[in-house]
Amino acid sequence: MHDHPLDLIAALADGSLSDEAEARALVESCPECREEYRIQTEVIGWLAATPTAEMTDLEKAALHRDLWTELRSQPGKSPSTPWWQRLAYVAAGLFVTVGLVSVLNNGALNGGGGFAADTTAGGSLDAHTEEAPFVAQGSDDGESAPEMTTETTAAATATTAAAGAGGEESFALPFAELAEEARANQADRALTEGTDRDVEACLARVALDEHVVVDEIELDQVYLLVMPEDPEAEPIVTFVVLPRCEIVYVG
Amino acid sequence: MTVPGKEAELLTRVVSGDRDAFDAVMRNHEDRVFSVCLRILGDREKALDATQETFLTVFRKAGQFQGRSAVGTWIYRIAVNTCYDQLRRAQRRPSESLPDHVDPSDPSAEAAIESAALRPEIEAALAELPPDFRNAVVLSDLEGLSLPEAAEILGVPIGTVKSRVFRGRRLLAKQLGNQIDQ
Repeated sequence: MHDHPLDLIAALADGSLSDEAEARALVESCPECREEYRIQTEVIGWLAATPTAEMTDLEKAALHRDLWTELRSQPGKSPSTPWWQRLAYVAAGLFVTVGLVSVLNNGALNGGGGFAADTTAGGSLDAHTEEAPFVAQGSDDGESAPEMTTETTAAATATTAAAGAGGEESFALPFAELAEEARANQADRALTEGTDRDVEACLARVALDEHVVVDEIELDQVYLLVMPEDPEAEPIVTFVVLPRCEIVYVG
Repeated sequence: MTVPGKEAELLTRVVSGDRDAFDAVMRNHEDRVFSVCLRILGDREKALDATQETFLTVFRKAGQFQGRSAVGTWIYRIAVNTCYDQLRRAQRRPSESLPDHVDPSDPSAEAAIESAALRPEIEAALAELPPDFRNAVVLSDLEGLSLPEAAEILGVPIGTVKSRVFRGRRLLAKQLGNQIDQ
């Protein structure tokens, strides 16, 4: 073939040219171009005659069923958090960290001021906490926060870094429907293993079912850093400890 | 036809945990995703797997959609990449190709396979094309996407897609020879 613009011939064949005059003139004046045009239109014709491949209704039903089964089996894998939400998490994490460090510096370790209370039936964190407890400030709505260890402060810092590093590793509640199903299935199940499904049930139990778990910190126990799912909501951070499913900090 | 802005809004709702929104996204695109996967992979069962994997990825990456392209284009790009991955895995673990699996409990499956089938000689010729050419031809000539759409999905310049489609067609014609007219 000569130096003829082959893409022009191809474009003429598939009808994507807005002005076909030049291409048509080329095809008429050049036998090789004409042959190329014939080949291209012929193949396009063969392919275009093929009906669109479709799934059957049963295949579609199976696809949806299998997809949701897969999502249920990995409830921690939620849509990755958008940058603005991650930014909010970072800001909130910094806020928490700074607040906790401030409390520490102000002598909370000496037992001064603040508060310590449980929002659930549970008591203090554990013996580890009792060795070096401090008292954190509560949220505006008066919800209380019990003791936090210095390790938990470090964990909050780690959480801030994790949130800033990207949402891929975080995990969140699955869709409301799945959470509802999990609650129905597991309402009576003892929270002893701290599995993802237990997390759902736990959050529902402490009225945090419209929240997402931003990070999970494993220390002496598993601490979940939880924030409102709604990006418009006030970015209140809540720590929940597993497996006892107790809110240990709100701020 | 789905309005692009509405589609992006659906994805935003997916990120905030709206299952109905995700179902709507799936309904809008599952047929084409399946069709693209079937043409690229040439196997119904693998195409169904790839379709599922595509939508799992769509779900998990919904928060990363930045609205630079249409939602459909973004989803089909995920589908094509998923198929690439499957092909790569298959190359590493070569196995005998199996005939299209038919669910015995699905009476419409046979008919669907038949209606979606390319003429065997075309299917064989398509399967012989280098993957880059095959994907360009599938998106452009079988799925009827525009060249800019195909370019965005494949992540290459429009000129590259044009060239691949053109050369893909020539290879198809060459491989098919005259048998197609018989």
